[in-house]
Amino acid sequence: MHRLQDPVALASFRDALQRERTRFETTVTMCAGTACRACGCLPVATAMAEEIERQGLAEKVGLRLTGCHGFCEQGPLVIIDPLGVFYCHLTEADVPDIVARTLKSGEVITDLLYTDPVCGEVVTRESDIPFYAAQDRCLLADNRRLSPTSIEDYIAVGGYSALAKVLTGLTPEAVIEEIAASGLRGRGGGGYPTGRKWAQARAATGQDRYVICNADEGDPGAYMDRSVLEGNPHSVLEGMLIGAYAIGAGKGYVYVRNEYPLAVTHIRRAIDDARECGLLGKGILGSDFDFDVMVARGGGAFVCGESTALMASLQGEVGEPRAKDIHTVERGYLDQPTCLNNVETWANVPQIIQKGAPWFAAKGTEKSKGTKIFALTGHVKNTGLVEVEMGTTLREIIYDIGGGAQDGKSIKAVQTGGPSGGCVPVSQFDLPVDYEALSAAGSMMGSGGMVVMDESACMVDVARYFMAFLKDESCGKCVPCRIGTDRMFEILTDFTEGRGTMEQLETLKDLAWTVSAGSLCALGKTAPNPVLSTLRYFQGEYEAHIKDRRCPAGVCKALVVGFVIDQDACVQCGACFEECPHGAVIEDDGYRIDQGLCEHCGLCVDACLSEAISKV
Amino acid sequence: MAKRVTITVDGAAIDTYEGANVLETALEAGICIPNLCHIPGVSPIGACRVCIVEVVEGDRRRMTASCTLEAEDGMVVEAHSEAVLRARRNIVELILAEAPNSRAIQDLAARVGVTRSRYPLRNKDCILCGRCVRVCDEIWQSRSLGLVGRGGDRHVALPFDTRPDLCKRCNNCIQVCPMTITPCPGPMTEGGICALCASQVSMVEDIPDTCIMCELGRGFQCTRWQMVGLDARV
Repeated sequence: MHRLQDPVALASFRDALQRERTRFETTVTMCAGTACRACGCLPVATAMAEEIERQGLAEKVGLRLTGCHGFCEQGPLVIIDPLGVFYCHLTEADVPDIVARTLKSGEVITDLLYTDPVCGEVVTRESDIPFYAAQDRCLLADNRRLSPTSIEDYIAVGGYSALAKVLTGLTPEAVIEEIAASGLRGRGGGGYPTGRKWAQARAATGQDRYVICNADEGDPGAYMDRSVLEGNPHSVLEGMLIGAYAIGAGKGYVYVRNEYPLAVTHIRRAIDDARECGLLGKGILGSDFDFDVMVARGGGAFVCGESTALMASLQGEVGEPRAKDIHTVERGYLDQPTCLNNVETWANVPQIIQKGAPWFAAKGTEKSKGTKIFALTGHVKNTGLVEVEMGTTLREIIYDIGGGAQDGKSIKAVQTGGPSGGCVPVSQFDLPVDYEALSAAGSMMGSGGMVVMDESACMVDVARYFMAFLKDESCGKCVPCRIGTDRMFEILTDFTEGRGTMEQLETLKDLAWTVSAGSLCALGKTAPNPVLSTLRYFQGEYEAHIKDRRCPAGVCKALVVGFVIDQDACVQCGACFEECPHGAVIEDDGYRIDQGLCEHCGLCVDACLSEAISKV
Repeated sequence: MAKRVTITVDGAAIDTYEGANVLETALEAGICIPNLCHIPGVSPIGACRVCIVEVVEGDRRRMTASCTLEAEDGMVVEAHSEAVLRARRNIVELILAEAPNSRAIQDLAARVGVTRSRYPLRNKDCILCGRCVRVCDEIWQSRSLGLVGRGGDRHVALPFDTRPDLCKRCNNCIQVCPMTITPCPGPMTEGGICALCASQVSMVEDIPDTCIMCELGRGFQCTRWQMVGLDARV
């Protein structure tokens, strides 16, 4: 690797790399994101490399391990270009067949193809899969095209050209204007206009300025930032470089969770490579712009995703938020003007500069522009990372991309925005994903978690789960958040265990308002959202728990009286007898449940083949 | 020299300097904003949230702690609006339920009009206001105390649970602790403060800004106590 002296050298380096990439007739792209690694993609990749070598195809076939493609539940998966064939759920045993048949002779192996769970059709090409077809993948598309550990790959697909454009032709003010015109808003949850934040950071007075990339993603079930940082770390770096140039910063930090080892490795490698190429350090691309980036690893506190807590942690202090009456763009890290943005926000920047603000502004709704990545999880057929244009309705995401509910059940609600977001019921599914629309519905965009729940979920229990998370993750500094979330959890526990009263429900509402009004930071201010949104749409469920001592979904164990086997429907298969861990299913003349031994776990209900077991 | 500015607290125009602590400014001007974790001369942290106020900017109202709020010219602050009183009552109710056995907490409850708590009492001996930690750190430069843990695990502790040599045994941590003020000898009511303290509440309800000569103010040099000529606790 050699140092790139100026933008011209970068362009000629790119041309050379692109010629190099056309050397192979066929490219095997394999997802090596964290989820696929957990599914065992690395042994498959090794086997693939050996098999290609063994069958003498090393000259013709290139193998590329990339970051996350988003369709995590299908892993390990490969895409074979230029055919576009998509194989999923691979094992090492499938590899010789793929190399011999598909790579050598272009034959498609039907057994390995993806079957759409909605219509049951077998799909050959990746682009025809409904999960991908309904998305608008601006950020995630590159994950599939490049190896995250190779700066050459990133440069070959046009990387760092936005930086070259900025350094050669744009003033910092013009860059800020471009970002402001694009309408980009913070992707971490708050939705603050990025252009305005940059302008404030530039206008603030201070000796040094800093840019920070917030990769302390901690929401349960969300991994958008992780996948971007793991799959395309250079796009984040390039965004930070452009941001630093715009606000006049000389130093940047990537604050990433230590629980994301692959992301840490990849961003470190990316920084080292960029430094070696002269894209970080002194006199970047021959200009007089100096900038360098360091990686800081977070210890896993959820609250450190809050900007002031993150900066305290970065300074080596306890990760606790401070009062935000003075914004971090004026006094942030080391009391200097600091511009902190989320991973996804930074990753959007190079594309906006490259393709122009009008391109970005054309996507989305009036106030929310561009695309947004969501982590679609829960009771849907297709789970994974989904990138859609802002303004797409929840219904389109959950039914068209997600494929709807599993096992013929019906969907009840979706929880958006992470633990401090809210639950949106199915009646509101025509809502567009838009910062204002989601807030008006009592939820929020958040960083983009989307947990779909079907009729088997109890909303009181869901609220209790998120409150348990928040009470543990509250830093404990301020009273409303530390004691308030604990008391809300206490009241919700009373409800789920059958001790609730209607007065407590009123107390809960009053307390939720207090926590939201009085807390120090955004964690506390949004902490009551799971309670408030479930109360707003599912008050009936709360009242059933309190007045009737009954859990409509049958989740709250203390409220389930017991299970009975309908002897007429029972087919005597014995599945419940096998499954019961407490020995409560008694086998005499047929099967029956001993109510004294039953622990109300419900495993027998799931095991029953003839749906003969019901709750009473 | 700092720039002189004028801020408005509860309708009263107060002349102060830019960046001044709004809570201290109001207290000096005789406007009592109830507070707990604040100590004059020690950096504010905004932890107890008892001193919350509303900052009015045109149609927008923003709730924030007054101890961490810095004065700006033309700032309009409401310390006793309906929303503030409601939030403050609820916050004090939470504190009262955690640790009712202190005269300081009982006075605070009476001051904001809380006589009983809707939550089960916990009778803890620390409410994590962080006064001791900051006094030890900032006044005595000793750093012998620290707040450890997160959420429900948060507690005050010595470094590695042993008394460090830097501790001068000055006992200032005990002096500033609101929990060391012995509770009022009046009869305690179930789930609430003592009946004697509660009798002051009717007065507070009629005149929200009234002074009940709270122990916290007496112990910690509240200007009200100085104004009526009573000295600080000996």
